[in-house]
Amino acid sequence: MAPRIQNSVVSNSLLPYLTTSSTSSSSTYLPRLATTCPSSQESWRSCRSFSSTPAPQTTRRRREMFAWLNTDAAKLRTHTPGSTNYLMRTNPKLKDSPAVETRVFPANPAYRSESILSEELRTEIYNRVVIKKKSVRAVSVELKVDMRRVAAVVRLVELEKRMEKQGKPLAVPYARAIHEMIPVTPPEQAHEEINELPVHRLTNPQIFYPVSESRQFNRVDAGRVFSAAPALEHEKLAKDVANPSEAISRVTQNPSRIELVGKGDEEHQVLQAADVRIPHPHMVTSTRDINEVPNEIRQHPKLYKARLRAQEAADQERKRLAQERKEKQTQRVQPEDSRFEFRINDVVVSQETTGKDGRNARAPGRRYGVPSYDRKKGQVKIPTRVEV
Amino acid sequence: MVVRIRLSRFGNRHQPFYNIVVAQARSARDSKPLEVIGTFNPIPQRPTNLSEKEARTAKAYKEISLDRSRAKYWIGVGAQPSDGVWKLLNLAGIVKESKNVKN
Repeated sequence: MAPRIQNSVVSNSLLPYLTTSSTSSSSTYLPRLATTCPSSQESWRSCRSFSSTPAPQTTRRRREMFAWLNTDAAKLRTHTPGSTNYLMRTNPKLKDSPAVETRVFPANPAYRSESILSEELRTEIYNRVVIKKKSVRAVSVELKVDMRRVAAVVRLVELEKRMEKQGKPLAVPYARAIHEMIPVTPPEQAHEEINELPVHRLTNPQIFYPVSESRQFNRVDAGRVFSAAPALEHEKLAKDVANPSEAISRVTQNPSRIELVGKGDEEHQVLQAADVRIPHPHMVTSTRDINEVPNEIRQHPKLYKARLRAQEAADQERKRLAQERKEKQTQRVQPEDSRFEFRINDVVVSQETTGKDGRNARAPGRRYGVPSYDRKKGQVKIPTRVEV
Repeated sequence: MVVRIRLSRFGNRHQPFYNIVVAQARSARDSKPLEVIGTFNPIPQRPTNLSEKEARTAKAYKEISLDRSRAKYWIGVGAQPSDGVWKLLNLAGIVKESKNVKN
């Protein structure tokens, strides 16, 4: 019985063609075949491929591909720094449209690559927040960058500076490569919408709510309907409608005083109108102030600044109070002979916190009789937010 | 039967976490106690959000949470803290340092 694998005899006749460069393969195919396969009967058998009819090495599509690579796509080999090098560049119809910069996949117009902050914009954000001591809110409005992104930039630049100080190497080539591949926002350009509002969970259901024609039904009422809160009294509502700026700042400067509805675990805040929930409500109120005196242009920046300052002061005060409350509940003990500090927090064990069956999540300690799902499949343990 | 204030271990392997519990002395360590009055996390935490100067002198901290009034009540009615809990209650200023319990 003949051996199944005949190493000495079997050889891949395609090998020389697979390794040759693609552009030259089309021209060299025939002469090579002639040289490697002599006409004598015996050696022909040894270099025969599996198929009796040799497959053509250059299909039409392959030829077209190389033609395209040499003509239209030739400009993709090099790119100018500061602009992207996506396939759309080769499309002569879209030469001057902005889609060239952002559309990654020619067949998918919905997929746009989002731009990232340029190096200059990044340093500008850091300088304004850390060196000029401006608030994150103010810088966000000035440079049109989301507040969360501003905060992240400050943290990351701080981290980078620390790494530099420690002599750790930075992945500069990587950063440079990314900046060349992806669209970048220069400092003078708006980076993103800063007042965007995600869809609130409570607004998902369609509610048919009959309202009498004689009554005004505004966004505040709609929020109350969505969160199943009783309607406001007419007098109170009339007061808010008469002075909307006051109504907005009352809520945004004291968010802890938002009315609660529901009982027990279902307790939640009443859904507020969109101009309260947006990241920069002071922009709405200041624009309203400005619209009242449209001709006094010198007053406008002052009005804006006043609203901004009020909001900043309220933010600061809220932060300070929260810190104070936390400090009050925490006792710090540093035993002399210990390497560690002990932080003793006050908790409350009562019927209210533990609940009737003792399983309420507000009670201190890990639970009894409640399985922990932390080893279960699909549990995401990567932190999704940063507590600063 | 003696009522003790002691620790019962929760958490996974290499990640201990303790409930400070009030339980009958002869019951199993992790069985359902009379009451959970606090927690103790023995894994030292690094303090964050510090200036560089503060960070140099800052010590790592261990977190204790405790309902002081419940602890005082249970000691008042004769519950006996275990050695480990005695140290913690001493830190919180609820019991005095003991000769038997070395810190």
